[in-house]
Amino acid sequence: MFIQTIGIWIGAFLTLAIFSFLYRDNPVYKVAENLFVGVSAGYWAVVLWFDFAWPNLFAPLFQGRIYYIIPILIGILMFAPLFPKISWLVRIPLTFTMGVAMAVAITQYIQGDIIPQLQGTFLPLRGVPFFTAFSNLLIILGVIFTLIYFYFSKEHKGALGVGAKIGVWFMMVSFGASFGYTIMARVSLLIGRVYYLLHDWLRVVR
Amino acid sequence: MKILDKLAVLDRRIIYLLVGLAVIIPMLIPLGLPVDITRPVQNVYDKIESLTEGSIVLMSTDYDPGSEAELYPATEAIIEHCFRRNLKIYMMGLWPAGSALGERALDTLARVHGKRYGSDYVNVGYRPGGAVMLLSLGRNFRDVIRVDYTGRPIDSLELGRQVRSARDITLVMTLSAGDPGVIHWVQYFHARFGTPICAATTAIMAPRQYPYMNSGQLVGLLGGLKGAAEYETLVKRRGRGLTGMDSQSIVHVLLVLFIILGNVILINQKRKKSAPGAG
Repeated sequence: MFIQTIGIWIGAFLTLAIFSFLYRDNPVYKVAENLFVGVSAGYWAVVLWFDFAWPNLFAPLFQGRIYYIIPILIGILMFAPLFPKISWLVRIPLTFTMGVAMAVAITQYIQGDIIPQLQGTFLPLRGVPFFTAFSNLLIILGVIFTLIYFYFSKEHKGALGVGAKIGVWFMMVSFGASFGYTIMARVSLLIGRVYYLLHDWLRVVR
Repeated sequence: MKILDKLAVLDRRIIYLLVGLAVIIPMLIPLGLPVDITRPVQNVYDKIESLTEGSIVLMSTDYDPGSEAELYPATEAIIEHCFRRNLKIYMMGLWPAGSALGERALDTLARVHGKRYGSDYVNVGYRPGGAVMLLSLGRNFRDVIRVDYTGRPIDSLELGRQVRSARDITLVMTLSAGDPGVIHWVQYFHARFGTPICAATTAIMAPRQYPYMNSGQLVGLLGGLKGAAEYETLVKRRGRGLTGMDSQSIVHVLLVLFIILGNVILINQKRKKSAPGAG
């Protein structure tokens, strides 16, 4: 309980220290900022070792699965550019990583994104309530006009130009929605901190 | 016009102060503004309601303390609903720091509902590897998960033994703040294994998820703190989501006023510059 209380006080102090930047830059803010960077780096180092490197690589190796030495060696080659004479060896881990990433991403992107999203635009305009039909029409037109905007093989003049302009309007609405959500997110983060100060620390909010 | 000229050079710290007060005052004096339930949130609720007792829900805490303010209330509300419905929770995370947050919520609510670790819920913690890991996980959980969050062998836990592949999971609920997160669950896990996916995301990410809802790849969505507040309304549990909603609404009104005022000031300044005789 005592440790928990100390933790809450430290959290409150650090929150206020970060907020003090709103008034102006100051040493207390700098201390909190550097502390955050240091703690984050330390936490990541520990997590990467205990949750990533040790159980997936070194533990199996020490249990006798000697072939785990191969990924370790390939991984070490990432440091090859530090030695100019053998710097070319870095191509081995890089090409391996790129190859695997591309193979996984391309197949799944087609299966999990492009095709379902294409199917998602095949929407009914008849036999559904009016508002649904209107929404479906907006989606279909939005996709078509936005795609027209990204068609660069012909100058955006005439009908193509009009289509591209409408596409820009659709995108602007989308950017506006994203911006609105971004503001909401930032306000939520502030609410989270204020709630911590008023509920956990000062205990004036239930 | 003198007021507009003065406002044009207003110290920005006054705006910070007003925003701060708009957050603090509604928390101290709640207004109880209504929270409407949107279709994406209702879909998540309905999906969980439709599951039979004993079904296994995989909850993935794909966030860290930076997004705790937005996603922790959703984590609690979803766990609460699952426990009330006697669903089993298999928790994991694609972000290192998310598991500790998930563990805290699980522990607290398990005590409230009298749930037992190992048979009613487990937490296997952070699982690195992103997309490749998810593909392996769906085929065979044992390839990826051998121990739980505390290092206990997964086969020593009843629920751990029960889950062998994606087929044993009835629903995936991802609480996502970025990459890896909801996109990976949709593009890899759902696309390959067909398991239904629901998501709670930060508000910034929410607009990007709507196409996935439209295509049926996502069943439902809780967007930011507002989504959590809606869910708390549905499960009749006043948590941090609902507590923060009055502040959220007041700040939004304030910001809209600031935007209108800012534009009025800008128009006024432009008009002055273009007036005859202006320098």
